[in-house]
Amino acid sequence: MKNNQQVTQMVKRFSVLQRTLHWVVMLGFIGLGLTGFSLAYSDQWWGQAVAWLVGGASHLGWVHRACAVATYGAVVVHLLWLAYFKLVLGGRLTGADSMFPTAKDFSDLAAHLKYIFAAGPAPRFGRFSYLEKADYWAVLIGMNTMGITGLVMWFPEWFSSFLPGYLINLAMILHFYEAVLAVAIKFVVHVYTAHLRPEVFPLEKNIFSGYEPIDRLKHERPAQWEALQAAAEGSGGEGVQ
Amino acid sequence: MTVSSAFSRWGFRFLVALAATLLAWLAVPGIGYCQVSMDPPAAGVAMRNCLDCHRRPNLESTEGVRSNQALCLECHAKKECTRQVDGRQVPLRVDLKSFQGSRHQMVACLQCHQDVARSPHRTEAGAQCSSCHGPHGEATVKAPHLRVSCAACHHRGKALAFEAKRGQVVLSRFDDHQRPIGLADHTAPGLGQDVLCQRCHHPGNQVGAAAMVLPAKGVICFLCHNASFSIGSPWFGLALIIMIIGLVLMARFWFQGSVAGGEGSLHQKIADGSETVWRTIFSRRVVGVLKVIFFDVLLQRRLLKESVRRWFFHSLVFLSIMLRLGMSLFTWLVYHVWPQGSLAAALIDKNHPFTAMFNDLTGLCILLGIVLAMVQRLVGPKHVKSEGQDTLALVIIGLMVVAGFVAEGARILMTQVDPQTAVYSFVGYPLSRLWARFSLDWQGIYGYLWYAHALLAALFVAYLPFGKMRHMFTTPLSLLINRDLQ
Repeated sequence: MKNNQQVTQMVKRFSVLQRTLHWVVMLGFIGLGLTGFSLAYSDQWWGQAVAWLVGGASHLGWVHRACAVATYGAVVVHLLWLAYFKLVLGGRLTGADSMFPTAKDFSDLAAHLKYIFAAGPAPRFGRFSYLEKADYWAVLIGMNTMGITGLVMWFPEWFSSFLPGYLINLAMILHFYEAVLAVAIKFVVHVYTAHLRPEVFPLEKNIFSGYEPIDRLKHERPAQWEALQAAAEGSGGEGVQ
Repeated sequence: MTVSSAFSRWGFRFLVALAATLLAWLAVPGIGYCQVSMDPPAAGVAMRNCLDCHRRPNLESTEGVRSNQALCLECHAKKECTRQVDGRQVPLRVDLKSFQGSRHQMVACLQCHQDVARSPHRTEAGAQCSSCHGPHGEATVKAPHLRVSCAACHHRGKALAFEAKRGQVVLSRFDDHQRPIGLADHTAPGLGQDVLCQRCHHPGNQVGAAAMVLPAKGVICFLCHNASFSIGSPWFGLALIIMIIGLVLMARFWFQGSVAGGEGSLHQKIADGSETVWRTIFSRRVVGVLKVIFFDVLLQRRLLKESVRRWFFHSLVFLSIMLRLGMSLFTWLVYHVWPQGSLAAALIDKNHPFTAMFNDLTGLCILLGIVLAMVQRLVGPKHVKSEGQDTLALVIIGLMVVAGFVAEGARILMTQVDPQTAVYSFVGYPLSRLWARFSLDWQGIYGYLWYAHALLAALFVAYLPFGKMRHMFTTPLSLLINRDLQ
């Protein structure tokens, strides 16, 4: 550490696997957006420029597929990890420390709106706020629907051997509009709510380093801090890793 | 004799002659082939327009494909459509039914037979498969079979010949009894592998193919050859499984100690270990790690400090194998990204001057390094501690390379590579000349030579995590860990 005199206490937030998967999804998603929209807007100069960069429209398609395989691979690895976490390590997939939506998320949303309009105190978020949960579920659900419609377009002969042909056109339409939605959520909403908030501007580092300074934890996630304190008192051990 | 009677007599004779000619024209096939479209239209049929034939339809559209097929099939669907070859009738009829069941049913005739729409109406280039399809990769057929024309496998005709002028195995135009064969069949046969392979790969074949059907080069072959991400032979699979088991056992052994100073479950140790790796990668320490990988692992700086001679022997083997690994991965990438490009064509062709020289040169370097190390072991100074295990490792690699060269010579001889091309295989070609002095059944022997090389390679791979060559994994790792401890 650079400044040994002021070692800040850190709380582990993301495991190495989670950080790695974030890198894969981040790079894969940027690649998907870039190549996908260049394919969709192949009549525009910028679409043609990107196609030229990778050596033509068919290569653009293959880069798109490669990014898709990598991104969806991250989803598969994550689901396998969840199974391992639940079955082998005996962890809980629901509760305050999980991504599972709870009633508190909805009251947090209401409190947050009030807070934004200066009509109430700030909501006391837990380990994952409703915004972060929305980000997570958007990827988990979105990647599956994009994956299915994408596969229909990748292997139209096989799918049309048991599905009506118009579903391929439908898949193309859904794939495009959901891409617009996904890009809007990830490149605008996610980047703003996670990285461009005044507290962490210009970058939320904990998804890359895996650790969060304890001062920020107390400030931003008081509910998690209280739970950690309670656990530490209950077990008599250290609540902080 | 009046003028009118003379005219009528000559006119009558003329008419008879004309009718006879027309009758002969229609009745005797082969006077002119595909004459039907030249006929005047039958009663009730509209007159032909020039542009019915003299236009190039848009072959990208269904309409263009169908109109082009209809035009060609006007003649080629008829039994009378034949051609004279050496006084024999060769049918040129295309069976519409067989074609419509095939994968090419929505492809225009002109798409493949690109040079037929001209006068005289015949092709010199044949069907151009490679204008749409790239060559096969290693996973489909062993070696890309660059000296075999597409139709040799993808056609019902079973008579094959080696055309020395082009260096290609092609469909023969004549059967065993020297009778001409029509090649107008358009069904792509079901590619049940063995049946098709054995068209050429049987003892006593005339096209220079090995008598044995050999498996594709699998993933273990990547170390030195352009290979495929497949298993290849079951033996390769076995070697791969043994190697993976060895690696897992090695990793288990490592994780028995404390990881990053911590004890706990295996899960906890993996988590701690990966945390350390993560912190190293995303910090300035990564520069040091890269330096170690480049100088100590790749260039073997530590060994160079100990002994220049030993470094030289080791590098001859190690760097050559690393170069070959890099080249085979590069070839795989190029082949998969630009399968029809000239770079891929050069890299996957074992006889291409660059590829042939690269392979022979690096192979020779490995062999030289092994021989020098063996000599050092036998006559060298006493401080070289020679263990039986070390000698075994050297013997396996050395024999593998020797078997490789022996098989290469046999391949060049067997496949009759043109000397001007083969000479770039500067080890394999002289060997092939040497083998040519022994009148052996090289087509039969080649399979065994290939397996000798391949099984030694499989042994090498299976042996990696167990014996002497375990240092390939442990040395770089301990170098990296020690760097952090210093």
